[in-house]
Amino acid sequence: MTDASRATTESGSQSSAIEPVFTPEGYTEETQYASFWVGAWRRFRRNRLAMFGLVFAGLVILAAVFAPILTPYGYEQIDMMNALQSPSAAHPFGTDELGRDLLTRIVFGARPMLLVGILTGVAGLAIGVPIGVLAGYLGGVFDWLVTRLIDMFSALPWYLIVLYLVMVLSPSLENLILAMIITGWVNSCRLMRGLTFTIREQDYIEAARALGIPRWRIIVFHVIPQAAPLLLWGFAAGIPVAVFAEAGLSFLGMGVRPPRPSWGRMLADSGYYWQFWPHMIIFPALMITLSVLAFQGIADGLRNALDVSENI
Amino acid sequence: MIVYTLKRLGGIAMTLLLLSIFTFTLSRVVPGGPWMQGAEIPLSDAQVAAFKAKYGLDKPVWQQYLTWLGNAVRLDFGYTFTEPERTVTQLIRSALPYSALVGGLAATLAISAGIALGVVAAANQDSWVDNIVTSYAVFISTIPSFVLGFVLVYFFSVRLSWFPAGNWGDPNDWRDVAHHIALPVLAFGIPATGGVARWTRQCIAEAMAADYVRTAYAKGLQPTGVMVRHVLRNALIPMITRFLPLYPGMMTGSLFIEQVFGLPGLGRYFVVSSTNRDYPLVLGITIFWALLIALTYFVTDILYGIIDPRVRITETRR
Repeated sequence: MTDASRATTESGSQSSAIEPVFTPEGYTEETQYASFWVGAWRRFRRNRLAMFGLVFAGLVILAAVFAPILTPYGYEQIDMMNALQSPSAAHPFGTDELGRDLLTRIVFGARPMLLVGILTGVAGLAIGVPIGVLAGYLGGVFDWLVTRLIDMFSALPWYLIVLYLVMVLSPSLENLILAMIITGWVNSCRLMRGLTFTIREQDYIEAARALGIPRWRIIVFHVIPQAAPLLLWGFAAGIPVAVFAEAGLSFLGMGVRPPRPSWGRMLADSGYYWQFWPHMIIFPALMITLSVLAFQGIADGLRNALDVSENI
Repeated sequence: MIVYTLKRLGGIAMTLLLLSIFTFTLSRVVPGGPWMQGAEIPLSDAQVAAFKAKYGLDKPVWQQYLTWLGNAVRLDFGYTFTEPERTVTQLIRSALPYSALVGGLAATLAISAGIALGVVAAANQDSWVDNIVTSYAVFISTIPSFVLGFVLVYFFSVRLSWFPAGNWGDPNDWRDVAHHIALPVLAFGIPATGGVARWTRQCIAEAMAADYVRTAYAKGLQPTGVMVRHVLRNALIPMITRFLPLYPGMMTGSLFIEQVFGLPGLGRYFVVSSTNRDYPLVLGITIFWALLIALTYFVTDILYGIIDPRVRITETRR
């Protein structure tokens, strides 16, 4: 009952803005009546891993935003009397070799992780989508140039280019984000370019062209909205990669600088202590893995819900 | 086929050239360098100038690049800043075998275990076996290798003391080496099994759903015969093209695994030289890696063109 009423209100407000153009393979009766996004949400909700991911990501985001309120200690607060404490009521995740509360550092460590994930995703879309759509729509020399650029960034595993850039720019969280953006926009660009090739051949674009609608209007109001679902998936798929990048590069000492906490850095800094006080790595390791799993789950759920085909 | 091959070759050369211009220019244009900031021994301006002249850093960037490129084509990447008695090529050659051994074993582990899991899952589609394999594949591929490395060291080195926690061991004693690299190979290979299993399952499932498989069954052929001759044969094409690049990709070393276990491979040199801003070494390793990876893609592209003529026809037309 509630589902049905929500479906009608949502489809009423959204279907005029974004048309359900991608016909999913498992096109069933129920999707036929609801808008594309309502159907996508239904398919997404059925995926247990995706829902776990959504809940987990929500909790992590809340924790990161309200970190100073949630934690009784400061993340730099050194307390040598209580160094290397195993988990207890006062320190649920224990303390490190300087007596800093690990739960506090874990909560604050979510910040660089989310910052890298979200900023690289947003900036990637902001740079990659316009370039990709222009390359795909205009073709010619511009497309050739963009393709060479995409090839160049795909010639190496992305983390090597990121590591190289961070090294050249000098290691810090800001430069890590910058490096991730410099390499990450290529993914949105490649996705958008490929989509534009298929979209631009469709009848309604030809109709728009026949009506004499200017090229920029076709691109902004007809091509990009149709690509929106897949761009959303592309955005989501980039987050687990960014989470991994932040943890990995901080682990190698090329990301977040101490004393600011980062999960990857906490693994590296646990030195030899962790062999005797394993709590020092259990919690950061668990958080890194669960976060990658959660965001990967969301991306996979979106992939099914939005029916992203393997070829794009 | 010749046009297709030439086109691919040209594309790769172009990509490598662009990548080298990009990385080289960045390394020279950005301020800071091994002699400028926070050096342990302060150098006078004259000394810095002498060093720069020695390494040719006083010339314009484009001139430096052309000199570098001329040497790089002959795989000569110059001398390293931090160990001036060794050339970059010598260093790569001495570090590569370590990475290649660990990575090659890890790739073999990932591919064999992953294919086995994928085949089992595809043969029992939508059963509980399939569910377990699919969940395993998703979960395992989200574990970063360095996290898994820590977990393995904790259980098998610290708790059980079955394996050493790091280092290479005695290079002349293969048993000792095997004992030392068992954990790195597992930590490197296991997360990669997830992707392999997923892709294998998908390829086989797609091949099983094909019309010609139904026809084969309808003709009354033996199920094993259909599986081997019709399903596996067709599923192998996308599998080969996907799994072959795993070898050079993993044999060139893992930054993270080599860091966790302290292995003297290429990845570790890359990280150490990055921290030291040893540009010739980092540039050399980067371009060397790009060359290897590009060559693999080239080989897989050619293989793909031979196996599936549709690819080369559409590519050539474009």
